[in-house]
Amino acid sequence: MRQASGHPAPSRRRVLAGLSAGTGVALLPAPALAQGRPLRIGMITSLSGPFTALGESMRAGMNLLLDQSGRAIAGRAVEFLVEDDGARPEEGVRRARKLIGADRVDALCGVISSGVALALRDVVTEARVPTFLLGSANDLARGAASPWIVRPTKTNWMLGSTAGRWTWERVSKARVLTAGSDYAAGREYVGDFAEAYRALGGTIGRQLWTPLGTADFGPLLTAIASERPEVVYAFFAGSDAVRFLRQWKEYRLAGRIPLVGPGAFFDQEDVLPATGDAALGAVNTFNQSPTAPAAAGFVRAWRAAGRPLPGEFSTTGYVCGQVIKAALERAGGDLSDWEAARRALFDAPVETAFGRMPFDPRNGGAVLDIHVNEVRRGEGGAMVNTVVHTYEAVRDPGPAG
Amino acid sequence: MDLALVQVLNALSFSALLLLTGLGLSVVLSLMNFVNLAHGSFYLLGSHVAVVWIGAGLPPWLAFPAGFVAAAAAGALLERFPFRGFYGRPHLMQVLLTYGVSLILADLMRWGFGAAIRAPGLPEALSGVVFVLDLPFPVYRLFLIAAGAVLGGGLWFVLDRTVWGALVRAAVADRGVVETLGIDTRRVLAAVLVLSAGLGGLSGALGAGMLAAYPGLDEEVLILALVTVVAGGLGTFRGTVAGALAVGFALTFSKVWFPEFANAAAFAAMAALLLLRPGGIVAPPLRQV
Amino acid sequence: MMREEGRARRFAPMLVLAAVTAGAPLLAGEFHLRFLAEILLLGTAVMSLDLLIGFGGMVSLGHAAVFGAAAYAAAVAAIASGGSLPLVLGAGIAAGTAVAAAMGAAVARTSSLYLLVLTLLLGQVVWEVVFHWRDVTGGADGLRGLPPLALGPWRLDGARALLLLAGGTAIAGLAIARSFTDAPAGRALAGMREQPLRMSALGYAIPAIRMRAMLVAGAVAGAAGSLYPFVNLYVGPGSAHWTLSAAMIVMLVIGGSGSLWGAWLGCAVYLGIQTYVSAWTDRWQLVVGAVFVLTVLLLPSGLAGGIRALLRRRA
Repeated sequence: MRQASGHPAPSRRRVLAGLSAGTGVALLPAPALAQGRPLRIGMITSLSGPFTALGESMRAGMNLLLDQSGRAIAGRAVEFLVEDDGARPEEGVRRARKLIGADRVDALCGVISSGVALALRDVVTEARVPTFLLGSANDLARGAASPWIVRPTKTNWMLGSTAGRWTWERVSKARVLTAGSDYAAGREYVGDFAEAYRALGGTIGRQLWTPLGTADFGPLLTAIASERPEVVYAFFAGSDAVRFLRQWKEYRLAGRIPLVGPGAFFDQEDVLPATGDAALGAVNTFNQSPTAPAAAGFVRAWRAAGRPLPGEFSTTGYVCGQVIKAALERAGGDLSDWEAARRALFDAPVETAFGRMPFDPRNGGAVLDIHVNEVRRGEGGAMVNTVVHTYEAVRDPGPAG
Repeated sequence: MDLALVQVLNALSFSALLLLTGLGLSVVLSLMNFVNLAHGSFYLLGSHVAVVWIGAGLPPWLAFPAGFVAAAAAGALLERFPFRGFYGRPHLMQVLLTYGVSLILADLMRWGFGAAIRAPGLPEALSGVVFVLDLPFPVYRLFLIAAGAVLGGGLWFVLDRTVWGALVRAAVADRGVVETLGIDTRRVLAAVLVLSAGLGGLSGALGAGMLAAYPGLDEEVLILALVTVVAGGLGTFRGTVAGALAVGFALTFSKVWFPEFANAAAFAAMAALLLLRPGGIVAPPLRQV
Repeated sequence: MMREEGRARRFAPMLVLAAVTAGAPLLAGEFHLRFLAEILLLGTAVMSLDLLIGFGGMVSLGHAAVFGAAAYAAAVAAIASGGSLPLVLGAGIAAGTAVAAAMGAAVARTSSLYLLVLTLLLGQVVWEVVFHWRDVTGGADGLRGLPPLALGPWRLDGARALLLLAGGTAIAGLAIARSFTDAPAGRALAGMREQPLRMSALGYAIPAIRMRAMLVAGAVAGAAGSLYPFVNLYVGPGSAHWTLSAAMIVMLVIGGSGSLWGAWLGCAVYLGIQTYVSAWTDRWQLVVGAVFVLTVLLLPSGLAGGIRALLRRRA
């Protein structure tokens, strides 16, 4: 038996979602005349808990895209509903069910934490709702892929394996010491790096791990210093990344030992502003970079509202919007025949701020250009992820791999 | 050998930070028998103030007193309402009230300071390293050890050896008698709470260089401070010092010996400690029943 | 807080639960039914916490570990041998009781702050095991792909079936808890909370009574925990983290500690604010904190106490 009521107070949500878009609204073209039923897009992101800043960026990125489109896609007005998962999977699933069951969204998108993404996989597949998922755990492109999920973003494997290649080709062929946060993402990044590096003939030295949410990296850094490694490959996220990098500098390791990692470790918005020049000279592999040519238009629009250089999640939110827009436009504004819409979306690449984006029809994942960023001093002395090389069209091994 | 020595220094610096955060909680708990679970919020407030202060280009060494003053002011406001009415109440009610207040403070700080992770630039003098037998050790951490020792020692001296300290202890032990001496105990107790809050903010300002400032840090610090103070033993400063050393060394060496299970090992060790010595390391003498 | 109530009043909460469970499927859609099931299950766990806090005066920050351990045991059992309901319930209750027994043994002689910190530490040890035992628990990513619940030949995986199971668990849990608090052991527990010295002088073995309370609470929370993974077809380490324990305490206080049935009210209010208020404002945690503080200041007996006072004034 279906619920009889209509949508709950959409105007209030729309106002709030629109308000958070900021000053950009005044500069944009008048909204296109909406024809037909409004389009409802639901985003699940973290607006409380450890990923709050990232979630706010993702929401803002999406809002920028919607504002630029006059808050209408394919001739239909867009209602953008944002729900907070607090980085908790149970919470995320409840919000997803609410958006699907009570708010009747036409499409879902978002998600930062891979835990939430994996938990949502079964829910959206069972409910048959087109979902543009932004989690990056390897499993999402392999065992947990679903015909209802499109992923316009990277997998952890893409970053770990390209880092292995880059380290072997350009940094050093010596033994690499790895350090990481002991949880799923850390294990994937370090594991994929080690596999790629070993496949090219390199050797991996000691592999050090710390618990997620470590306050004091002193013992770890002392251990690293005593090993005197040639290269260090590391992954930490969020506050761990900030603390590690600052203490990396305090313990006089910065600038003396080459440091390589995945892009989230050196996120332009989340990590670099708080670390000062501790990360100067470090190298990271990432699908996002503020200096990437494809992102130039987005970076300009983002900064026009007075914001600093964008990091991963603002760009990903924007790209998600671009992909949703492309999918709808190619499907004539209607996603109810999802199989046809999906085929149309995968038929040709989408032009996004991550570059030209073709999709892998096996798992709905994007095939991306992975940039190698070096952290350099930019304008005003701030640290900027600067592209020094690009591995083009990197594709995750996918379900067979 | 030198590696072990540096790890001992690491442990000492972490213990110093724990002592700094635990001191404020211990003051209000041991002296006033008031459980203040909003202590972590005062710490985070001090950290944020230090970040903003140094970021604004103001004299960096004054960031620490600024953190003290900001948190003390917040403490004074909260003392007036609603903490004042809860001094005599059972611990459970204090726990509930202060925890609820900490939820409100956490969200207000997230609103006011934003959700991004922020850290202050350290003053020049604190940014170097000393070499301990060929291995680098940051000056900033030596500074933390010194700060912990000075503050801990200073507080102990004031409260144990001065008239004012005796007054505070008397006011807690027997409020009525002290009132008959013509002293306004309400202001004495309020002063203790404000001091405790200020200490929390000061340790936040001092520790911001190490832990950074972000939403959620208040909860993490509260847990650490609570375990430190309780495991050390309530009622004495010696207890808090012992607790800080125990927790600091446990967490540091568990990272050295069991890197992946560091937290589990440390928690298990602290739980075992509490099981063996239910009153903490420096246990107050218990009435035997 | 505790008063003698007439027989009708005693059974009223169970009747309300039954009415809600039976009536909801006629009015609500899929999402609301699952949400209600979640409230009923989590509320049952909070009610079992009331035995510890409201009746026993033992403020435990480790109850989520009991609940989470049961959830994981049930999920692992289901993945290994299919979603048979007796198996799932059995695994959950066994795991919940076992963890509660271990905690009970540890805290039998401690009180107040020491108990708070000790349960926190023990609970986090459980969380660390769940988080790091990747092969069994899925680590940080949790477990998904759970088989559907079934009782013999009947499949129980729709939202309506889930709600019925949750409602049944809630009513059974309440009945068990009530019979415990009415029994001599339960009365001794309350007495122990108020006058520990007198009770031990009278010859009551405090540790044994506390242990019994922990076991009952563990079993009830275990039953609730065993069904929890099937609400979202997912279980993650968050179900065993101390922050969930703290949230449970918040729910209990808002609902009214010492009343048993207030637990579901508090759970509904908390989850309701979390789910609905966050759609209007980013400051929903401020709202929860404010509601909590106001409850502590103005309504120390929580919503249950307030309702009881209202009913008394009408009577």
